[in-house]
Amino acid sequence: MSAVWLVAKREIVTTVRTRSFIIGLIVTAVVVGVVAFLPKFFDGPDKYTIGLVNSQELPLKQALPEAEFTFKTFQDRAAATKAVLDGDLDAALVDGTTVLTDGQIETELGVLMQSVNREVKLGAAGVNVPPLAMESVGADTRYEDARRGIAFLLVIVLFGLVIQSVSMVAMGVVEEKGSRIVEILLASLRPWQLLVGKVVGLGVIGLINLAVVLVVGIGAAVASGFAENFPPGMAGIIAGTMIWFLLGYAFFATYSASLASLVSRQEEVGNVLGPMMLTVMVTYGVSIYATGDPSSTLSTVMSLIPPFSSMVMPVRMAAAEVPLWEVGVAMLIMMAAVAGIAAVGARVYERAVLRTGARLKFTEVLRSR
Amino acid sequence: MLEITGLRKQFPGGKVALDGVGFEVRPGELYGFVGANGAGKTTTMRIVMGVLLSDAGQVSWQGRPLDADTRKRIGYMPEERGLYQKMRVAEQIEYFGQLHGMSAAAARTATNDLLERLTLTERRNDAVEALSLGNQQRVQLAVALVHDPELLILDEPFSGLDPIAVEALSTVLQERARGGVPVLFSSHQLELVERLCDAVGIISAGRMVATGSVETLQAAAGRALKVVVRGAEPGWADGLPGELAVQGDRHVLVTSGGDDQEILRRAVKSGHVEHFGFERASLTEIFKEAVA
Ligand SMILES: Nc1ncnc2c1ncn2[C@@H]1O[C@H](COP(=O)(O)OP(=O)(O)O)[C@@H](O)[C@H]1O
Ligand SMILES: [Mg+2]
Repeated sequence: MSAVWLVAKREIVTTVRTRSFIIGLIVTAVVVGVVAFLPKFFDGPDKYTIGLVNSQELPLKQALPEAEFTFKTFQDRAAATKAVLDGDLDAALVDGTTVLTDGQIETELGVLMQSVNREVKLGAAGVNVPPLAMESVGADTRYEDARRGIAFLLVIVLFGLVIQSVSMVAMGVVEEKGSRIVEILLASLRPWQLLVGKVVGLGVIGLINLAVVLVVGIGAAVASGFAENFPPGMAGIIAGTMIWFLLGYAFFATYSASLASLVSRQEEVGNVLGPMMLTVMVTYGVSIYATGDPSSTLSTVMSLIPPFSSMVMPVRMAAAEVPLWEVGVAMLIMMAAVAGIAAVGARVYERAVLRTGARLKFTEVLRSR
Repeated sequence: MLEITGLRKQFPGGKVALDGVGFEVRPGELYGFVGANGAGKTTTMRIVMGVLLSDAGQVSWQGRPLDADTRKRIGYMPEERGLYQKMRVAEQIEYFGQLHGMSAAAARTATNDLLERLTLTERRNDAVEALSLGNQQRVQLAVALVHDPELLILDEPFSGLDPIAVEALSTVLQERARGGVPVLFSSHQLELVERLCDAVGIISAGRMVATGSVETLQAAAGRALKVVVRGAEPGWADGLPGELAVQGDRHVLVTSGGDDQEILRRAVKSGHVEHFGFERASLTEIFKEAVA
């Protein structure tokens, strides 16, 4: 165990110290921060400035608490018209009867002013109108948009991180094989210790990256106010994401380490990883689809089948409510798949890593003694 | 004592690389392992290090089969050198020390000592790739020595070294041997092996063709008699075995057979005997003889 930890520690220390790691973290943090603020920019804050000519302020804030209303009083209709045309006002209420706007009034504001005005007038006349109670008889869709948005971002982050971490594992394996350091290493380590140490070490690096994404993302969402839209159970979604990232990473990293051990030069890494990267792409594609339709049969089935489940399941968990038993079953199957690929991968790695030279064949190495 | 017996190795390609290789390296012995390219030296050493599996045969240390734990106490320098190019010198040596089971503190102390001895202290925080090839070789040696190994196995440690580095490495190996460590190394430089080693093993096409101390091998090779006679009459050596070379009035007879007393009498009678003595066979001669 201590040997595995020594190997892992070396990976962590040497990676953390590289410039590319630091720059990568900063870039990720900035991108995530910006993305988390985006809804605020696009959504356009609901801020209205309303002019009053010979009118009372309408209690608009009561009807729409999220929005902000500023009222400005004008002497006469002409002054208010000018302000509307200059764009200083969204609307001006004249004599409590007419609303002036520059072109058609914004629907939300129009409906709001109309209904609030009616309420105020009726109230003054002694008629009390109880507001309509809104009730959904379908699923709770209040957080649907937010959920889909979060799920979509998660897919991109998980995909990027898996690709990055898995490539680092592969390049590390080839570095050791190509330079023959592996021969000294294997004189004091078992091959599986070297393999597991590397996968664990670079997994920690991946987790650091993921943690930065989550912390910056959530921090920015809180700062921008978007966090109010977070669905309940956000903590569970985050914990689930981390666990699924680790499972997916463990699967693809072990697989890529065994594939990388078949070649001796960095130039060959891309080639030998090809089929596996294709699997990652397909997983990504299915996950993107799942963000749009998280409860369809395809999404459900793919969220149970490894290695697709490693990305599809966290996406489903973010995008919709997933029964706990489904998550549990998916996790068990995925863990079994990780164990399987680890057993096969370690065997291939062990046999291939000392055979420098021409590219070896996976199945041939697996069959050899 | 390191005992290697009956090693056999056939590569998947069908090539038999080792066919019954066996020899011993005793405590405090510098053992030179020589053989032509492709004779099987590297394969033998890799099997000893457990980096390669043999088809048959045994490797034992202190009377017990060499296992993974014991291998951690061996210092190994593979033929194909390898270091983490981007890792710092001192950290790299410490890392390998720890992999060999040392505590972090012990590895640090040992690393500092070695850096001092190998005059690398100033480069301790440089990446390996920034070092000259000669200095990289020293780091490689430090990696093999950091854990104060009980046994040293070095594959072609002298290859690519300049004469000063050869001297330095020789001194280090002799010191370790004097400390009781068996040192097994392979080399092409036969004069160096002859000068340095207590024992040699000659391997040819996967078989050991000669093993033993340098003296024993020389004795076994037979001693050549060399006679130098000045001003001898031509034909004085007619009928004597061996080869005669004439340089002006110097006649040099080299022979490994015949009656030495008879040869001496003939020489004295025919001229002025300048030299009469037995020559030791050089390792190069023994090697050629054995491999032929
Ligand atoms: N991995 C391998 N696959 C096939 N043949 C090999 C392999 N390694 C070594 N050989 C063959 O085994 C023989 C011994 O090689 P080696 O031990 O490297 O010799 P040496 O170190 O004495 O030069 C050579 O003929 C070599 O071609
Ligand atoms: Mg060799």
